[in-house]
Amino acid sequence: MEVKIDKRYELAVAPARAWAVLRDVKVVAGCMPGATITEQVDDKHYKGSVKVKVGPANASFAGDIEVLALDEAAMKLQLLGKGSDRAGSSASMDLTATVESGDAAGAAVLAGQAKVTVNGKFAQFGARMMVPVSEMLLAQFADNFRAATATAASESSATPAVPAKPNEISALAVLWGLIKGWIAGLFAKRA
Amino acid sequence: MSKKLIRVKVNGKMVEKAVEPRMLLVHFLREECNLTGAHIGCETSHCGACTVDLDGQSVKACTHLAVQCDGSEVLTVEGLAQGGVLHAVQEGFYKEHGLQCGFCTPGMLMRTYRLLQENPNPTEEEVRAGISGNLCRCTGYQNIVKAILYAAAKLREPQKEAA
Amino acid sequence: MNAPDRRAALEGVGDSRLRKEDARFIQGKGNYVDDMKLPGMLHMDIVRSPLAHARIKKIHKEAALAIPGVYAVLTADDLKPLKLHWMPTLAGDVAAVLADTKVHFQMQEVAVVIADDRYIAADAVEAVEVEYEELPAVIDPYKALEPGAPVLREDLAGKTEGAHGKREHHNHIFTWESGDKTATDAVFASAPVTAKEHIVYPRVHPCPLETCGCVASFDPVRGELTTYMTSQAPHIVRTVVSMLSGIPESKVRIVSPDIGGGFGNKVGVYPGYVCAIVASIVLGRPVKWVEDRIENISSTAFARDYHMDGEIAATREGRILGLRVNVIADHGAFDACADPSKFPAGMFHICSGSYDIRAAYCQVKGVYTNKATGGVAYRCSFRVTEAVYVIERLVDILAQQLGMDKAEIRAKNFIRKEQFPYKSPFGFEYDSGDYHRGLQKVLDACDYKGLRAEQTAKRADPNSPTLMGIGLVSFTEVMGAGPSKMCDILGVGMFDSCEIRVHPTGSAIARMGTISTGQGHQTTYAQIIATELGLPSELIQVEEGDTSTAPYGLGTYGSRSTPVAGAAIAMAARKIHAKARKIAANLLEVGESDLDWEIDRFKVKGDDARFKTMKDIAWAAYNQPPAGLEPGLEAVHYYDPPNFTFPFGIYLCVVDIDRGTGETKVRRFYALDDCGTRINPMIIEGQLHGGLTEGYAVAMGQQMPFDAQGNLLGNTLMDYFLPTAVETPKWETDHTVTPSPHHPIGAKGVAESPHVGSIPTFTSAVVDAFAHLGVRHMEMPHSAYRVWQQLQQSGVAL
Repeated sequence: MEVKIDKRYELAVAPARAWAVLRDVKVVAGCMPGATITEQVDDKHYKGSVKVKVGPANASFAGDIEVLALDEAAMKLQLLGKGSDRAGSSASMDLTATVESGDAAGAAVLAGQAKVTVNGKFAQFGARMMVPVSEMLLAQFADNFRAATATAASESSATPAVPAKPNEISALAVLWGLIKGWIAGLFAKRA
Repeated sequence: MSKKLIRVKVNGKMVEKAVEPRMLLVHFLREECNLTGAHIGCETSHCGACTVDLDGQSVKACTHLAVQCDGSEVLTVEGLAQGGVLHAVQEGFYKEHGLQCGFCTPGMLMRTYRLLQENPNPTEEEVRAGISGNLCRCTGYQNIVKAILYAAAKLREPQKEAA
Repeated sequence: MNAPDRRAALEGVGDSRLRKEDARFIQGKGNYVDDMKLPGMLHMDIVRSPLAHARIKKIHKEAALAIPGVYAVLTADDLKPLKLHWMPTLAGDVAAVLADTKVHFQMQEVAVVIADDRYIAADAVEAVEVEYEELPAVIDPYKALEPGAPVLREDLAGKTEGAHGKREHHNHIFTWESGDKTATDAVFASAPVTAKEHIVYPRVHPCPLETCGCVASFDPVRGELTTYMTSQAPHIVRTVVSMLSGIPESKVRIVSPDIGGGFGNKVGVYPGYVCAIVASIVLGRPVKWVEDRIENISSTAFARDYHMDGEIAATREGRILGLRVNVIADHGAFDACADPSKFPAGMFHICSGSYDIRAAYCQVKGVYTNKATGGVAYRCSFRVTEAVYVIERLVDILAQQLGMDKAEIRAKNFIRKEQFPYKSPFGFEYDSGDYHRGLQKVLDACDYKGLRAEQTAKRADPNSPTLMGIGLVSFTEVMGAGPSKMCDILGVGMFDSCEIRVHPTGSAIARMGTISTGQGHQTTYAQIIATELGLPSELIQVEEGDTSTAPYGLGTYGSRSTPVAGAAIAMAARKIHAKARKIAANLLEVGESDLDWEIDRFKVKGDDARFKTMKDIAWAAYNQPPAGLEPGLEAVHYYDPPNFTFPFGIYLCVVDIDRGTGETKVRRFYALDDCGTRINPMIIEGQLHGGLTEGYAVAMGQQMPFDAQGNLLGNTLMDYFLPTAVETPKWETDHTVTPSPHHPIGAKGVAESPHVGSIPTFTSAVVDAFAHLGVRHMEMPHSAYRVWQQLQQSGVAL
């Protein structure tokens, strides 16, 4: 089952700072909740893992990431991620992420389009949760990304650090987050 | 997984067994107590074929752990008839052709038993809502409803003197 | 006792007597497969593929085998030396028992684990690791036939001849046709009016409340295999198991105990059965396998999935001239469709329906896709559900196109009573029918004119909160497969059988080759014998399902029990009756022709005081047989039916669709059925209620959606619509009686008619609600959401 994602996230740092984080695949992967890069095979290929937990049930996706394009001038990263879990779910993601200039001088926008295909058990039983859960995960990713850019900005070193965070996604926590968000949305001002 | 000793009153008789904490009540009844009336028709607690009466309530035995029933009383379909005499709900299902393959029947009977304790004079709509947790593929429910109304009427009859 | 009292005491044919099987079910003393416990019994569970199409790279058994209480983990490699990793299907194809190098559908069986109890077996299933290499899945049957489509069946590479003729493409199974193409094309070329529609009968699943399972028990000392199995056809299973295992059929015993609903889901031989049998033989202990609901919906015989292009040709006055139907049939990954071997599209060619259509042609192309196998299941009489659906939709569409009333166009085109026996353009000989009488009865009972007037008024009122629809269907079924020259399963002719033995004290035991899954054979079969022999049905024990004692039969499906086994019962009883007459004549010292039979006794003509009851005769048979006759009173009959039977019905449905929510309320459903002689009206009515409810489920909510990768979304009861008592409509049933002239008691069978007939009736009603807005067809299921979308599209949503 396929999910198409098209998101834009506002960042409070200059585009160059944001791009410095984005072009570092290790750091970017580290911003994804539950994900870790375990090995860099060569400058275009990485191995990684994502751990997901729903109550007592676990899935551990082991996967490959291929950097298809890294365009410095356009501040664009294109990568292809593929993973499978030993119990029989698999997922692949075709992602294009770009850093654009924001409205103000010290602002930027992280724009991402992704096509995610999930197959196997997660598709069978999790289909109806796929879109809201993806959006939730990406919102967390964006927060982590912001933290990574802020850390980098406050340090003088050129290499941003991988932010510390739990290395497992608890789907129940995600679900609770979704419900809280929905309730909050009921009381939020209408745009 | 180490076992836990539980004591459950089943159809009036005390049963004491050591069971794994993860053992479902429906398996406890069917396999440990040899009462195979309660049936398993799904694993998402929709079908109700496993319905039994636990401490005065209808419960789906597939969604209860045996260890949760330590110290409780369970009534199953095997405990409905008394002294060889069918319970009114059983008689109703027989007289009104409320069963065909029989697989949903024990769950239906146990649900009917509790429904009529809670609501001795239900309307047809109340009957249908009352058994909405029990699925049947054979009867289309029409004769089941008639069976339940038959049983309700019989249970409301003044009790006859025992011989 | 006077004659009417004596007849009543028999509780024979026509009596709504209560059921003999109820006593055990209402006390929780049924004997279903999962109730069985044998000493030393182990439990089997199945590792299934999460992917629809993939290569198997490696299977890791070690972690599972390390769990205490696990005895074995079997894969295709373990079955290869026994040549059991593939098995023949009922449709002339082969199906994988355990996936060998490749998986072809999601939830396909890949490995089995055998353990001490079901909990440990479940743990072991989780511990087996399988490495897959994903392949692109083929889900759309039209895309499956495109030139560059992925190859599904590598095992059939190079095989251009299938079991049913030439294969045109690597994903093509068969092309089957019936009727006269040339004559039909000519009619369409010149007809004043033609209508065409693409009509889909979506994939659904029978979902009986009890899932499939077995307890296989091989006795290594005696070399005998006994298997208790949820099987609608135990004798065929015995023959197949003997052929596959090499164990002589005399040492194989299949027992179908109480079965919690079949509906065609329990006809085929599933990999679970084969693996349990192999495990039992290998381990020398009984092995139980019972699937769960998700496994049942995902991997056992599905129903329908017919994509039909239907065309109808007519005069401007609405006289149908021709019918042409082309079908793409999605059979899943292996063709295991349980049809008689010469009919890969079953009885689809009954699609000319209740109408006198001179020129007709139909063609069905079977296709492989990455889905589970099956096709013929779910109360369908071998594709009659699809056939009736397409013709009834086309007649409605034609009526709408011509501005004609739906009842009027049907009456105009019905086969007339005088035309029976009627030869259809597809070669069926319909035995008997009176469609006009049935239609009139239904229209009168429902005040059809009044309903149409009400609908007209509602349509004129823009504030009406609902849209009112009236559905009407007139169907002819074909049941009782079948004459052995036409119908066979794996080469065994589709006869059926009955053996009756009367005891000295006047009770009897009878066994047949069919198997009840809720239809009440223990009651209705006894009633047939009661009327034939004059013994009370209460005293006649009926047994089915044990292949060691029951005479060979082809099982129960396609509503064949009454037409075929019911006939065998009557014929066996008549053999006993003939011997009884000889014994009576001997006892009364008269000639056989001096005797009259009346209800339960032979009387001397003209002398009522001299008679012998069947009870008297039974005693005499064991101690005073006439010279030249052997003692005993029994008979066996194998009945090869001369023809199918053709029950029919007229159904009318009134719906009110909520313009805000799209919810359809069934205001009234009137079902008139004619099944010929009615053995037990109470049981018939129960069967009708059940079939109508299953039809309601199919038409109004059931679906099996697949995504592009072949994931089956919605294979639990969270999503698969099984109606509860709340939404199930109240059914009104009625009947006419037009006996079958060729059946010994004139009975035709009825159980599948309500399912076959109700589904197009619901579609007819829902579409009718929108007909004034130009809508002429809507695809099932008519769930609230889908109907709401139509409301939006037609601009009438509130």
